[in-house]
Amino acid sequence: MVRVITGSLVECDPSIRALILQIDSTEHDIVIQELDDTHLLIDKSKVEYVKTMLNKLLAANTYNPLDDEENNDH
Amino acid sequence: MSGKRTYDEDDDFSESSNSSGYDDDLDDPLFGSSKKTKTLTVAKRKPNEKVAEEVSSMDHLAHLPTGYVPDVVSKMFHRHDFSYLELKPDHASRPLWISPSDGRIILESFSPLAEQAQDFLVTIAEPVSRPSHIHEYRITAYSLYAAVSVGLETADIIAVLNRLSKVPVAESIINFIESATVSYGKVKLVLKHNRYFVESPQADILQMLLKDPVIGALRVDSANLTSSNGLTTAKAPTQGGLVIPGTKPGESSDNVEDIYAAVVGEKAAQEEEDDDDAFDAVHSFEISNDSVEVVKKRCQEIDYPVLEEYDFRNDQRNPDLDIDLKPSTQIRPYQEKSLSKMFGNGRARSGIIVLPCGAGKTLVGITAACTIRKSVIVLCTSSVSVMQWRQQFLQWCTIQPENVAVFTSDNKEMFRTEAGLVVSTYSMVANTRNRSHDSQKVMDFLTSREWGFIILDEVHVVPAAMFRRVVTTIAAHAKLGLTATLVREDDKISDLNFLIGPKLYEANWMDLAQKGHIANVQCAEVWCPMTSEFYQEYLRESARKRMLLYIMNPTKFQACQFLIHYHEKRGDKIIVFADNVYALQEYALKLGKPFIYGGTPQQERMNILQNFQYNDQVNTIFLSKVGDTSIDLPEATCLIQISSHYGSRRQEAQRLGRILRAKRRNDEGFNAFFYSLVSKDTQEMYYSTKRQAFLVDQGYAFKVITHLHGMETLPNLAYASARERRELLQEVLLKNEDAAGLEVGDDADNSSIARKDGLKRAQQSSAGQKKAKAQRTAGSLASLAGGEDMAYVEYTGNKNKELKEHHPLIQKMYYKKGKK
Repeated sequence: MVRVITGSLVECDPSIRALILQIDSTEHDIVIQELDDTHLLIDKSKVEYVKTMLNKLLAANTYNPLDDEENNDH
Repeated sequence: MSGKRTYDEDDDFSESSNSSGYDDDLDDPLFGSSKKTKTLTVAKRKPNEKVAEEVSSMDHLAHLPTGYVPDVVSKMFHRHDFSYLELKPDHASRPLWISPSDGRIILESFSPLAEQAQDFLVTIAEPVSRPSHIHEYRITAYSLYAAVSVGLETADIIAVLNRLSKVPVAESIINFIESATVSYGKVKLVLKHNRYFVESPQADILQMLLKDPVIGALRVDSANLTSSNGLTTAKAPTQGGLVIPGTKPGESSDNVEDIYAAVVGEKAAQEEEDDDDAFDAVHSFEISNDSVEVVKKRCQEIDYPVLEEYDFRNDQRNPDLDIDLKPSTQIRPYQEKSLSKMFGNGRARSGIIVLPCGAGKTLVGITAACTIRKSVIVLCTSSVSVMQWRQQFLQWCTIQPENVAVFTSDNKEMFRTEAGLVVSTYSMVANTRNRSHDSQKVMDFLTSREWGFIILDEVHVVPAAMFRRVVTTIAAHAKLGLTATLVREDDKISDLNFLIGPKLYEANWMDLAQKGHIANVQCAEVWCPMTSEFYQEYLRESARKRMLLYIMNPTKFQACQFLIHYHEKRGDKIIVFADNVYALQEYALKLGKPFIYGGTPQQERMNILQNFQYNDQVNTIFLSKVGDTSIDLPEATCLIQISSHYGSRRQEAQRLGRILRAKRRNDEGFNAFFYSLVSKDTQEMYYSTKRQAFLVDQGYAFKVITHLHGMETLPNLAYASARERRELLQEVLLKNEDAAGLEVGDDADNSSIARKDGLKRAQQSSAGQKKAKAQRTAGSLASLAGGEDMAYVEYTGNKNKELKEHHPLIQKMYYKKGKK
């Protein structure tokens, strides 16, 4: 029997690719095919999920001076 | 809202904000004395939180003037809606706006009045951020203390603020200023004619102190001068006659009154003069030398903290030091300004002066020493800077080399004359462990003397505990702290206020750069994408190992190589900074450049530094964090940072300081370059932005470079092939976690962050030393089997040393000899 999965082609930096692969390593059903250094084919239904996860992971590397002030206030 | 609604209960406020509060009238009912004491009780406890507390306790709706109609958007600002504050009719020409809620001051630095306003604001408020057009300051309790200590008075501060502000100064701010300044600085402890006096311009305060059971008992009756009320009255001190060397008399214009003359206008200054004549008598009573500590402590308890001043011109007990600036030495206007804050009334005040690196902090210290002309002790952070201070003293002033002594682990000197100069390090003086005989002798010499003046270099790096020890063991009359960056990651800045004194002056970096006193710097952050192999490992590894991975990122290495190549071709001298010793060695060896880190022997360091300065072949050196401060390399014009101490803002500023003093800064169109290499999508991005915060506040702009043009085509580019990169990755992964550690230095940043695991390790190692039951060493099979050369070493210690007390007979014979 033939199973059809609709995929989305993702073009990204190597580092983002590594991040997506890491997300995939815990969930397993996101990446359909690793194409090359900058391209991935991922499950279409998971696109939104991957986006939010990426935002979360990348936000950890962003410094926001306002956060700092709040922390100091308390 | 809470129980603290003391401020709201009077209805005068609506009047005062409605009334034409523009004309600086100070006869407001708010100034009634009952009011003062009330705010005082609330405000005394925590100076930092005062404003916030006050504001939260105010129901802000109660403050709306009667005719005020909120506009459509005002409710979006909630409590930060201040549109009810009425603009003065001529607001366009006034440069300030003060936030009623947190004492924040916004200054239009393009206004024609801005320069004078800045002088004034630096005195009464902390500069928060000073980019080119809009400056931000903040009034804090400490900044007000500092203002009072340089001689400003409450009413004047409020009057000047009112004059400069676009809206009438809010009641909350007035209250705050009053409560912070009402008691501070009113009582001074003055040493003159070798006797201690408690001095105040207001007789009633002294009366109150005398009635205090503790202080009253400590008063010494000086026989004749005492008037009926038990106080001695004298004329207030003036700057009269005191000329700071290096300046021309009459030109030293920047004392406090002149700030007024400029800001308040001639007339007000005139009035002030008249007032001065009437009021400037000071009252004092004497206390004995040994009760000084007690009185100081007691005054602190009853909320009248004493300000210490040193009347060095009338100090005959301590011998004068023959020291003067050489006639050729010229000091710059801002140095003069900072010193005039210190010597404003002809006496020396203790405090901190903040100048950017390379702006001549040393010269400020030396000039201050030449003004006081008593025995001086200078403390700095490393033995390298000890030598630099010594050399600078000999260079700028007339002190004789035999009067200059150096006290470090290598040199233990004392001067033979009555007065002299000692240069040492904090760790030498604060050391509590056993000392060698020689250093104990010098230490006894240091503690037994009375010093006229102590200079504390780089005050921000010294851990607070060490500082306290230094300040208490050495008896100095005046203390001067010097620093470029009064920020610490461990929030211990406020300690300095009490250990040394208030901040007397803080220079504006951009201003100095414009006038050519420090170099113009182009700052850039270079984003280096992680290679995919490295990033995959990065995601997998522990936090410490991650650090190693983002530092050793091959792209970063290439960027570094490219920048070095590019700038060497331009004829720049380059310093590359790396905190991580493993990376430092790896980079430097691969690129074939000399490097210095904590373990480099002194001789080799000197060699490398000298070659860097004078040898055309050596244009790049690699430095670990030992180079952060105090290594003076005016040749350097370009700086590349490959790894750094987490998010330390101080380190970033200190490193920038290495190129601010660039020799070539006055060349036409000269720019120094500061690159920070950052691995993209890693933790480093976070730290990097945080580190820049301080410099951004000083007005520096960081450019982001995402791609270096021509990097790929660079000949001999390192790690160009995938195989090389993989090999590097393997090597990095094999390194154990310790390689990721930072070099240990004795500064505050380290102690705050590294303390936790440092402590653990120290415990382990000390436990290991005590009970080393088994030892594990790596060795080849041959050596284990005895197939190699072997030397026999006996490990049992000398049994004699284990004896804690020697036999009395031996003690008698041996120790007596030793004493002689």
